[in-house]
Amino acid sequence: MKVEYSYLREQFKDHDVILKKISEVVKTGDYTLGTAVSEFEEKFAALLGSKYAIGVNSGTDALFLSLKALGIGPGDEVITAVNTFIATAGAIAATGARPVYVDVTDEYVIDPNLMKKAITSQTKALLPVHYAGVAADMDQIMEIAHRHGLPVVEDSCQAISATLNGQCVGSFGVTGGFSLHPLKNLNVWGDSGMIITDNDKINDTLRSLRNHGLRNRDEVDCFGYNSRLDSIQAVVGSHLIEDSQWITETRIKWAEKLDAALSELADDVTVPKRRPNKRYVHHLYIIMAKRRDELLAYLIDHDIEAKIHYPIPLHLQRCSAHLGYKEGDFPVAEAQAKAIITLPSHQHLKEDQIDYMIETIKSFYG
Amino acid sequence: MEVKYLDLYKQFNDDELWGKVKDVFSTCQFIMGPQVEEFEAGFASLCKTPYALGVNSGTDALFLALKALGIGSGDDVITAPNSFIATTGAIVAAGARPVFVDVGPDYNMDVNLIESAIAPQTKAILPVHLTGFPADMPAIMDIARKRNLYVVEDAAQAVSASIHDKPVGSFGDVGCFSLHPLKNLNACGDAGALTTKSKEIYDKIKMLRNHGLKNRDEIDCFGYNSRMDTIQAVVATHGLGKIEEITANRRENARLYDDALAHLAPDLLFPEKKNGFNPVYHTYVVKVKNRAELRSHLEKNGVETKVHYPVPNHLQQPCARLGHKKGDFPVCEQQSESIVSLPIHQSLSKDQIFYVSDLIKQFYNGR
Repeated sequence: MKVEYSYLREQFKDHDVILKKISEVVKTGDYTLGTAVSEFEEKFAALLGSKYAIGVNSGTDALFLSLKALGIGPGDEVITAVNTFIATAGAIAATGARPVYVDVTDEYVIDPNLMKKAITSQTKALLPVHYAGVAADMDQIMEIAHRHGLPVVEDSCQAISATLNGQCVGSFGVTGGFSLHPLKNLNVWGDSGMIITDNDKINDTLRSLRNHGLRNRDEVDCFGYNSRLDSIQAVVGSHLIEDSQWITETRIKWAEKLDAALSELADDVTVPKRRPNKRYVHHLYIIMAKRRDELLAYLIDHDIEAKIHYPIPLHLQRCSAHLGYKEGDFPVAEAQAKAIITLPSHQHLKEDQIDYMIETIKSFYG
Repeated sequence: MEVKYLDLYKQFNDDELWGKVKDVFSTCQFIMGPQVEEFEAGFASLCKTPYALGVNSGTDALFLALKALGIGSGDDVITAPNSFIATTGAIVAAGARPVFVDVGPDYNMDVNLIESAIAPQTKAILPVHLTGFPADMPAIMDIARKRNLYVVEDAAQAVSASIHDKPVGSFGDVGCFSLHPLKNLNACGDAGALTTKSKEIYDKIKMLRNHGLKNRDEIDCFGYNSRMDTIQAVVATHGLGKIEEITANRRENARLYDDALAHLAPDLLFPEKKNGFNPVYHTYVVKVKNRAELRSHLEKNGVETKVHYPVPNHLQQPCARLGHKKGDFPVCEQQSESIVSLPIHQSLSKDQIFYVSDLIKQFYNGR
């Protein structure tokens, strides 16, 4: 049996239906920032319960533009998690600010207590990451933010529809950035991203920044960027968002099955503790495993496409060399990096594939 | 008769093109699929450069070029004040200061004014091939060599334009192109491309456009997300097969206007033409008297025109902090008050061009 990591072919097997919708948009000649984009923005905002959604070119840009809208730049510090995909820190660095890394908890998200300690007089924003589809501890983080008067930008790129106490991630902070990259739970046919906010002023600023700072065709309010969500990608997003609930629920179903079965292997495998007040959307289903590298090879040998997200934490990457961190600075993330493994858990898997993965892992340790 | 400024539907209502787009679903490699490299190879060959890279937009092409050359805070970049705002925006996004020089009768940077704009902090010259007419690259390259400056060409509007058969984008350190839907070679959304002779610059930009990733797990430098979508690469590659015809049609349309309108001087003036400079007419821009009235006369008769652009960069609000005022760039300012862009796209018929020309003649002769 084969268990593939990617599910794009199944996800878009109805591409003819979508292409037909695209051909309607093509007739209008409206290929950037057209009505297709505003329609998708409205659906996206409604899904997450926010006032505005702003379509941009990528999840990276969603974070970058959010920070720019808050006026963050050279000389400023932005606090984030050390185990995230590089784009989070890259977006901070792109503004000219300095990324300040913080270690994570046993569920792979930023540790609020350590975040508090990382605040300095240069800190201008907190950027928690809802890593792997796990909501960060936003209740504590928002309390810290209020106490210190700091804005919060949520990296929700991997966590569409994840919740804490029933509230969608991305809607706690001043903005939430989402990725619609083809590998994400809600995905399109290329790079795209979305920002949600309830703040009228930030909404206006973001709309201007994503389109060269233009007020209208001929007048420019501020220097901006080119970071638009293509109309054709908006058509894909609008189509797929109808399936969003099914995608989330199926991923949760498979993850719960894996959780239950793998918990029996407690000597060899650690399933992160699940909190009852969080909805985990399992963009990545990550466990910690003994003899990880051997297990990875064994699974691949058995046609199970497992992966590692990610083997090297950000502070040990060459790009961070100038920030002055060293091995040992973030012991939890470093230990996790050596033990984590990501199993396929997407919505297009069948129950027998999940069973096969469980058996294979059991046979490896058995 | 209706003469639209653009007819994208005519271009994109193309079953062959959508058939090619559908092929992407056999692999679903929507990010950096092999079709991107295919486009890059075709584009490099069109521009006669060893390397080309697909990126997210023409704006990002400029930004990434400046970043790859190490240009940033404290540096000056010399450019023209009459370009689309993205040119200046990319310089500012890199952290550098845009320094404007006025333009000549071809709407491009006046090369005689460049030397006096060079300061110790100047790092690059960023000429714009506005309207698809090549800037005076031989002269600009001479100055750059003499003063040890980088040259980044803004060729966003000028794919396939050339000087003595040498394509724009192949003169400077990096050439930057837009494949925005309104461009001669276009995608069905935002896309851009870069050209360079330098393997080092190529490698650097390749990394910068994809988060600074050396491979899946290792990151060499902080980068950006500015990739060309696979689907857009398919659309652009399809366009590469047609660009010769597109350019030929636009040149023919321009010739028809030139012939029909030549006798209207001084009411209507063409930009300067130069021996060996071969434009591609992304826009067909003439200087006219009574512009507003002419435009409304044309509009009343079904002809769509545009102005590229009515407010020069230095008079836009965000440039206020650069200390510019009206009068700083008199040629550009005077042009911005009298220029008009006539429909020139490749799908226009001869009759449509004659119709527009006749309306213009009627407007000036009838007064």
